[in-house]
Amino acid sequence: MKTLVLVAHPHLADSSSQQFLKESLPDSGVVWEWLDGQQVLDVDQEQTQLRQADRVIFQFPLYWFAAPASLKQWEDTVLTRKFVYGDHRYPLAGKELGVVVTTGMPGKAFQRGGAEGLTLDAALAPLAAVAQRAKMTWLPTFAIHQFGYLTETEKLQLVVRYQRYLTQSQPDSLTTRQAWFAERLPGMIDRLPVDQQAAGKLIASVFDQKSADLDQLTDTLALIKEQSDD
Amino acid sequence: MTENAAWLNEQIDHLAQQQAKFTDRAFWLALKDLIAEQDRRADQLGGEVDGRTWSPDQW
Repeated sequence: MKTLVLVAHPHLADSSSQQFLKESLPDSGVVWEWLDGQQVLDVDQEQTQLRQADRVIFQFPLYWFAAPASLKQWEDTVLTRKFVYGDHRYPLAGKELGVVVTTGMPGKAFQRGGAEGLTLDAALAPLAAVAQRAKMTWLPTFAIHQFGYLTETEKLQLVVRYQRYLTQSQPDSLTTRQAWFAERLPGMIDRLPVDQQAAGKLIASVFDQKSADLDQLTDTLALIKEQSDD
Repeated sequence: MTENAAWLNEQIDHLAQQQAKFTDRAFWLALKDLIAEQDRRADQLGGEVDGRTWSPDQW
């Protein structure tokens, strides 16, 4: 899967969350672009990147319930009517569009009666409408609330949750999670120092066995259900 | 947690601790969480298989 991450942030170097996410990027399969860092947007190049991607991610901090201005400028410049739908070719159709949004307020603030009184889905509705217009599939939003308050353990978990959001098949389920890890395990074992590889292989074999056991249990249950429906 | 699961967790924790890169450590710890999820799901599915197999009205 090819994923294009478009980051909108006016002060990227000062953002600990954006720096953290950049460090957390998967080793392959991802093109990362900082929109505010472009002096002039090369429309052809931007549109080519979009055509080549399977999944497009808009990544930004929430400013006044919306993305920073650079994303809107990118939309207005790159997403021309002709490109998106004007010639009825819909080059973005079937691609996925997701949002990684950071907020300074906790998740509970983003609901009716909460401190912000607005859900993130509501705030991001214009972007979802763009996805719909382009015949793209809108992904559930990946929100990171109050990054600065995360514990070390939560940050470690965030690394992999973020990587999975960028590169794992949707919808997110135990089956797709297993497949994501299974795909990466051989490479991760190869990276281990020689004296740790046996441990890595052992862990991988237990994981594979548990995956196979679960498949078998699921099949057994499906069979029982089928028979009881007769 | 079974003895096997505890032993496996120790193996993964030990491996994770030895990784210099933060993202590598994160991968192995996330795999540990996923294996715990597999165990829970296997228990639940196994329970459902047992429950459905032992349903007296199906006898």
